[in-house]
Amino acid sequence: MTSPDRDGAPDRRLAIAAFAVMFCAAAAIGFVTGGLRSPSVDQPIAFNHRKHVVENQLGCSTCHQFYETETFSGLPAADVCSTCHSEPQGKSSEEAKLVRLLKEGRPLVWNSLFRQPSHIFYSHRRHVMKAHIRCETCHGSIALTTSPPRSVKRLKMADCIACHEQRNVSVDCTTCHR
Amino acid sequence: MTRWGMVIDLDRCTACQACVVACQVENNIPPVDQADSERGRGISWIRLAPFREGEHGTRPSLRLVPIPCMHCERPPCVKVCPATATVIGHEGLVGQIYARCIGCRYCTTACPYTVRQFNWKKPEWPQPMQDGLSPDVSVRPRGVVEKCSFCHHRLQRARDQARMEDRTLRDGDYLPACVESCPAEAMFFGDLDDPRSVVARLAAGPRAFRLLEELGTKPKVIYLSKGESGGDV
Repeated sequence: MTSPDRDGAPDRRLAIAAFAVMFCAAAAIGFVTGGLRSPSVDQPIAFNHRKHVVENQLGCSTCHQFYETETFSGLPAADVCSTCHSEPQGKSSEEAKLVRLLKEGRPLVWNSLFRQPSHIFYSHRRHVMKAHIRCETCHGSIALTTSPPRSVKRLKMADCIACHEQRNVSVDCTTCHR
Repeated sequence: MTRWGMVIDLDRCTACQACVVACQVENNIPPVDQADSERGRGISWIRLAPFREGEHGTRPSLRLVPIPCMHCERPPCVKVCPATATVIGHEGLVGQIYARCIGCRYCTTACPYTVRQFNWKKPEWPQPMQDGLSPDVSVRPRGVVEKCSFCHHRLQRARDQARMEDRTLRDGDYLPACVESCPAEAMFFGDLDDPRSVVARLAAGPRAFRLLEELGTKPKVIYLSKGESGGDV
């Protein structure tokens, strides 16, 4: 009679190896498809900035309507989108989705891709209109992206301070902290 | 250079506490329950301190003195803070940076005016009030110290507006909520370094005094009172 140990050992090793291979494969598939399909910033549609800004030459204020006149910049409401997209302009599936959403008449809930702590006062109009800071200084190459980035960008105090020092403007704590 | 300061005319103050309520609402200060209140854990950035005047048996009276943060020129709190969480700015505002505060409470001990308060618990409001918080003032978490800011979030807004209109700040552009709410018009606010400002003129008058002046903290809250003697100025 063979002992269960001798018989069982190769089986167990094989089982562990098979499990390891399957685990790695599943992780790899999950990583690739997860990365491609579901950005962690959940948006109503995968908005294509490049299409609007680069190919169609639209200014940022076409959709972000308040950064020139208010402290905040604003995300477009459904009526802004429906100015152009009440009927499909192209063949993109994301646009088809948008047209459908607009027809349903529900409000579009965009999530901000840039996060600033709530204890900070920041005025878009003053930075853009008076200090002539370009959007990409803080917002990077968002205008060149074809779909939303995977994660929200957290704006850092070090960047604010570096710019303020370079331009010789106030770095008093209470200038921004509130 | 601007040096923000407040003048409180005690001869006009009726101790109505409108300033206290206005401050509470403006600065997202949570209400306190009875148990915490009895332990001295309620928070108010401006309080009315009772001072007894006159001898017993003669003509005793109680004077209530509104006490906000004095925004001292030489603030003892700033000196003791190990985290640089409280700092004095170029315009004399003593700021409290909550994100940096470690809650050691050295500053609450160092402050001779006892205007600094510690957050013993997470702030909570009854539901309808929860939706009415001011977005201009951050809600302080448990474990940090807070105090009167001279409503500096109003300065941030006022300065932003002035810059957009290509002008400098005018007297009255920036007023803390307490000053704005005072029905007796006993509170004044402005630039102490501007000789034309109301506060500078009042601060230089004969009725002006500061609390605990002898400590050398150089408070920027100036009180006006003709005093117990009832002088005629």
